[in-house]
Amino acid sequence: MPEALQFRNVTKNFHPREGMRTTASWRDRLSTWFEKSPAFTALDHVSFAVDQGEALGIIGHNGAGKSTVLKLLSRITAPTAGEILIRGSLSALVELGSGFHPELTGRENIYLNGSQFGMTRKEIARKLSSIVEFSGIGSFLDVPVKRYSSGMYLRLSFAIAAHLEPDTLLLDEVLAVGDFAFQRKCLARIDELKRSKKTILFISHDLAAVERLCDRVLLLSHGRILRQGRPREVILEYQQSNLIASAPPVFSGPLSRTVQCTGFSYRSTCRKDSNHVHTGDSMTVTVEFFAQETVSGLVINVYLYWPNGYLCTHLSTGAEGFNAEKGPGYVEFHCPVVNLVPGLFLVDVAIERTPEIMDWRHRCSYLRVDQGEKAVIGDMYLPHSWSCRRGQRQESSADCIASNSSAGAL
Amino acid sequence: MSASIQIIRPPSFSLRALRDDLVRLIRYRDFLYTLTLHRIHVRYRQSALGYAWAVIQPVMLVSIYTLVFNHFTKIATGKTPYVIFAFSALVPWLYFSNGLSLATNGIVSNPSLVLRVHFPREILPLSYITAALVDFAIGGCVLGGAMAFYQIPLHGAVVWVLPIMILATIFLTGVALLCSTVHVKYRDVGLAMPFVLQVWLFATPVLYPLQSVPSKLRPYYELNPMAAVVDGFRSAVVLGVTPDLRLLGIAFLMSAAILVLSYALFRRFENTFADYI
Repeated sequence: MPEALQFRNVTKNFHPREGMRTTASWRDRLSTWFEKSPAFTALDHVSFAVDQGEALGIIGHNGAGKSTVLKLLSRITAPTAGEILIRGSLSALVELGSGFHPELTGRENIYLNGSQFGMTRKEIARKLSSIVEFSGIGSFLDVPVKRYSSGMYLRLSFAIAAHLEPDTLLLDEVLAVGDFAFQRKCLARIDELKRSKKTILFISHDLAAVERLCDRVLLLSHGRILRQGRPREVILEYQQSNLIASAPPVFSGPLSRTVQCTGFSYRSTCRKDSNHVHTGDSMTVTVEFFAQETVSGLVINVYLYWPNGYLCTHLSTGAEGFNAEKGPGYVEFHCPVVNLVPGLFLVDVAIERTPEIMDWRHRCSYLRVDQGEKAVIGDMYLPHSWSCRRGQRQESSADCIASNSSAGAL
Repeated sequence: MSASIQIIRPPSFSLRALRDDLVRLIRYRDFLYTLTLHRIHVRYRQSALGYAWAVIQPVMLVSIYTLVFNHFTKIATGKTPYVIFAFSALVPWLYFSNGLSLATNGIVSNPSLVLRVHFPREILPLSYITAALVDFAIGGCVLGGAMAFYQIPLHGAVVWVLPIMILATIFLTGVALLCSTVHVKYRDVGLAMPFVLQVWLFATPVLYPLQSVPSKLRPYYELNPMAAVVDGFRSAVVLGVTPDLRLLGIAFLMSAAILVLSYALFRRFENTFADYI
């Protein structure tokens, strides 16, 4: 199958000093005139190809070059070297609502926005009712968009973008915004595009969405391709590298608070060979603290966040609290079954004595969950077992022909 | 499925590519149209007087100039009343000066478009020029009314208005593309613009007749295409005589050359605009 798009040895440099000229002195300006300021290389000889009908995900930390790929493909900026080949039409669904003018009405903006994407006025007129219906803005069609709620704004711009008929679609973090119903609509539309064999390039921090959508994932780091391959494997590698790249959690420093968090750790309690936690394991999470004085009614919460920042779940000592003696101490949370899906969770530790927050450590650590024996998809693991029986289903059990129990050690 | 292949390469300066650029521009004509409508709508939206501003601006200007150059001092304009004399030149001049000052800012004042959507960037300055053309048409109607009021008849020479305005548009587009390109990186252009336009106004026979220019200075006037435009427009509309064709010819050659070069320059830097805005 021919490639829908191809990067051939693409390099993109930015000159960080450009655009800051007003603050530079005349002498600086003269010197930059004669010598090239050192360039920042956003993409460094990057080559890859996307097949027609394939959904490729690009992940990487901030500044890895993801947005540069997007900007190059949507032709907002040009490469410094190398070339990019695009077969067929391409449109980008990036930063929704970007092409709207606040003074114009919804209808006028549909025309404006649609023609930015290369639709003719005739095409837009034909699709107008369908766009309006998809967006659900209804009677607000002839109201200036500055009076819209941000949700309406978003829905309208997605509705326009969804009515483009490109061969290749670039997607940004669009799924991370909007309410549940809107997200479902977006996903349905993207699935539809996927089924009709459109090529999709999805660039996101939302690893779960990348894994769900993409056939292949490319990991970028500092402008180079670190790895590419099956989504699960690359995402896991990214999470590992992310763990290493991030600064280790810091709990040292002067003890200034009455009660202060001094450590966070977790370990699997059912595996002898390694400390890694796998889905279905039992786990112990430990929070260490130091109390300057004896405190009563102390509450310790551990919040676990998805990589996209949404709260996943939390561990708590309960609202009643406990009494902590002066000096160091620690709290252990025992989790008999880890229901978390494989992935990396961000951790907040909060030490409170209602209503006072004594110490809240934002994103102070990570909790990494590896895959258990059974692959798990979705948002959580529901412990379960299964069996298969002969005959019509009745209250009395028929002969059991196959069964499996995975309650304990998945 | 269309199997057209696009190849994105680092930008380079090329005159030969201009034909492809024009084809691309024509593909996007609907966007230019939408954007022009948008400019016109937005300009007067939430203003109490609305579209009346398109009339008020030239009328106020011509009143002041008439007061100064007809009552305080006297400029000889033959049989033509000074109001009509000045107004007939101000209408094409305002098209040029308003179009140029808005189009120069065209790229910089639309970061949301430049940073997020791909389209031929020349559409941004062009949309201001086409919008200025609408203001020109309104000004032209007011001029027609004023001429009817002073009972100045139109002559056959008025057909020259069309080629003269095409010339004005070619020149304006060329200068605007050049200025908006440079303005992205060096905002000095925008800062100097009001001052330059002021000087340019007095260097162009808008408020005085071309004939009153000392002959020593006349050759320099030939280097100013706007002199040919303004003088030609006034000749064709008010005086009813065929404009100075030599002057127009020189102006046309210069304008065409400027347009081709500025367009190529614009296209060379177009894809780096997003890096500088």
